[in-house]
Amino acid sequence: MDRPLTVFRRHEEQLYLGAAGLVIAVAALLPLLVLCGQLVSSTAPASGPAATLASARIWLLLARSLGVAAAVTALALGVGVPLGFIFARTDAPGRWVAFALHAFPMFLPPFLLALGWFHWFGRQGLLGSETSSRALFSAGGLIAILVATFTPIVTSLAALALSAIDPALEEAARVVARPWRVATHISLGAIRPALALAALIVFALSLSELGVPTFLRVDLYPSAVFARLGGVDYAPGEAVALVLPLLGLALILLVAERRFVGARSFAVLGARAAERFTIPLGRWRVVGALAGLLAAVVGLAPLGALIGRAGLGGFSSVPAWMGGSLWNSLAEASLAASIMTALGIVVGRALARRRRAAAPLDALAMLAFVMPASVLGVGILATWNRSATAAIYGSLAIVVIGWTARYLIVSTRTIAIAVAQSPLHLEEAAAAVGSPFGRRLRRIVMPLHRRGIAAAWLLAFVFCLRDLETVVLFYPAGREPLTVRIFTLEANGPPAAVAALAALQIAVVAGVVAGAGVAQLAARTGPR
Amino acid sequence: MKTLLLTIALSLGCNRQAREVVVYTSVDQPFSEPILRDFERRSGIHVRAVYDTEETKSTGVLNRLIAEANQPQADVFWSGDPVRPFLLVKRGLVERYRSPNAAAIPSQFKAADGTWTGFAARARILLVNKKRVAPSEMPRSIRDLESPRWKGQTALANPLYGTTTMHVAALFADLGAPAASGFLGNLKANGARIVGSNGEVKRLVAAGEVAFGLTDTDDAHEALEEKAPVEVVYPDQDGLGTLIMPTTVVLLRGGPHADAGRKLIDDLLTPEVEKRMAEAAAHMPLRADVATPAGVRRVSELRAMKVDYAELGAVMERIQPLLREWTGL
Repeated sequence: MDRPLTVFRRHEEQLYLGAAGLVIAVAALLPLLVLCGQLVSSTAPASGPAATLASARIWLLLARSLGVAAAVTALALGVGVPLGFIFARTDAPGRWVAFALHAFPMFLPPFLLALGWFHWFGRQGLLGSETSSRALFSAGGLIAILVATFTPIVTSLAALALSAIDPALEEAARVVARPWRVATHISLGAIRPALALAALIVFALSLSELGVPTFLRVDLYPSAVFARLGGVDYAPGEAVALVLPLLGLALILLVAERRFVGARSFAVLGARAAERFTIPLGRWRVVGALAGLLAAVVGLAPLGALIGRAGLGGFSSVPAWMGGSLWNSLAEASLAASIMTALGIVVGRALARRRRAAAPLDALAMLAFVMPASVLGVGILATWNRSATAAIYGSLAIVVIGWTARYLIVSTRTIAIAVAQSPLHLEEAAAAVGSPFGRRLRRIVMPLHRRGIAAAWLLAFVFCLRDLETVVLFYPAGREPLTVRIFTLEANGPPAAVAALAALQIAVVAGVVAGAGVAQLAARTGPR
Repeated sequence: MKTLLLTIALSLGCNRQAREVVVYTSVDQPFSEPILRDFERRSGIHVRAVYDTEETKSTGVLNRLIAEANQPQADVFWSGDPVRPFLLVKRGLVERYRSPNAAAIPSQFKAADGTWTGFAARARILLVNKKRVAPSEMPRSIRDLESPRWKGQTALANPLYGTTTMHVAALFADLGAPAASGFLGNLKANGARIVGSNGEVKRLVAAGEVAFGLTDTDDAHEALEEKAPVEVVYPDQDGLGTLIMPTTVVLLRGGPHADAGRKLIDDLLTPEVEKRMAEAAAHMPLRADVATPAGVRRVSELRAMKVDYAELGAVMERIQPLLREWTGL
């Protein structure tokens, strides 16, 4: 009588993983397959895609994009790693406040920050001149803004990893070497997987960024893809053809991630050392404090300009211009973050426990993240705009699907890192006394890693809140998120109102992050 | 939290309301949205709108309409120019509809077969920064964009998108391909800045980043409203003429709410809407009986470029490869 149940119990973990895999495949893989199918069955002249890729200009744009992404990555590492050391490992005064302020811009859409910098360095900006304007509207200006935007990713991952190094390792080195030598030779080596992950994320985000280069009039490869989707002779076939090199690049990035990061990041990002080895800066404390201050100023400057530009008039007009976009953002982002967290619990745990089936799902999620967002957008439109799925395509569900596909890696990796820190024997003991997999997840994994799971939800939520490029191609009519509304109003809306909406977006993200911080603090200091 | 849950439930569960209309529009959101909301209030029909981003003005939503052709999501396309609807007509995506409110619109601004109807027009103008250009040097023609006097000091929007596409197509139709290509080549050689949008041209001129730029009357109106030191020049009044572009509305074939779509079109074609567009966005009314506010010219007062909007649609498609090469994309 119990045979089917017994079979179910025996394979319960695989079934959970299979169900999660199905959802991930539908969200992230299906759009890619549909796009490839369209390319193969295209009625356009056979020479179309080949002719598109035969243009030397296209490859020049790709080379330029790769150059910009490489420069941004190198500079972000060059700035972010020392800052990570200062914030996590030195006694520089005010370092944690500076770290929080420096890190904040990574939760905002880059084009808002570009708009903020324009208010500073445009010709009539607060510090503007013809020279500053020329510098801003150039490849150098683009790189500088992207470095300012993405460096906090490197800083945060470096600081996080530095906090997790086994102190015994460094203490042993300190017996024979000076602190700086220990920092550069031991600590830096130990956090290499975290730095590789940071480099990969910054490179992928820089490569697919569209809003900032468009604003600063720097032609890059994503602009060429977008021209095929936004121009008069709508040519999705050509756009897909242009995507092929990017898919190749995404696969190379994926292989690099497998080779240099993979599960190693779980160890370096998850553990927390009981004692931290702090480098006393001595007379260099002032320099450390100034570096932190400078990082905080760079983080806050564009936000300050936006708030200043908004003024009282801008803020008072927010209700009229906001529409339902804030609620749309919050509703869509909470739902997407909850789904991603649920998937992350199953897949992230399996990843941490080295289950074979988890690796391809993780790879797929990583591919969807490093792929240019417009490609995913076109694929989702082509996949879901059918009569059978009209109810999904015309509702918020399509936004939730898009975000789940793009940002799933955030929740799976965060939960994997958390789960990897706990021993497997707790789950094994429960399994030995007959506890089914679902119950083990609910009673052991989830309570034990509730902070990691909460962090995964929060990160996924914030990534969705800041997203523009994924959903701009297919958001349902009348249900645009706040970022899309700011983008569609940006050129023609009253500047003060646009700046005020941008400030609102910032305030919402700040509120969410601060709320999470307070909740974590309360959990630590509250009754046990 | 309750509101949030309610929003999620409503958004996911009640996807298609009985009394609603879906409109895609490339008319600037600050101007189109109040009109749509007003229609919603008066008619009780819920309006769901998709607005274009400035960078892809007119083509972003147009391409979305084409991409969604197999399963149309929209009922009405309210275009910022009169040419792009022809691309939909050509693909068989438009339903004929002769609105009773279109009777007073002059015949050159509407299709005899009811496929499209124009109203509230804009013009392509030169927006000049008065601090950078002396009155004696004021440009008078779009040809001034290629003048060495203004080398590196002018701007226009990327001609792959927006009304600039139509303007370039009109030049190809009017001057012929060799002369128009030569003009584009001269612009590049003269260091004209190619920017993301007409709004960006306005911003650069208003900020004095460039001396003058080619943009639309509504963008110029915004600069004037913001008290920027700018002046509007209607170009080529003693030659080629100024390009006039009525906004255009079409009913889409197979849209989910055709009746509501017709009601919305009827509403957009009332004199009241033309009046509001004139007051809010300096659009020129096409009806003779709609008053224009100070500073807004009448179409009849201008020497207009002689163009066939249907022909421009074909030219626009034909010159795309050339424009892509010119822009480097």
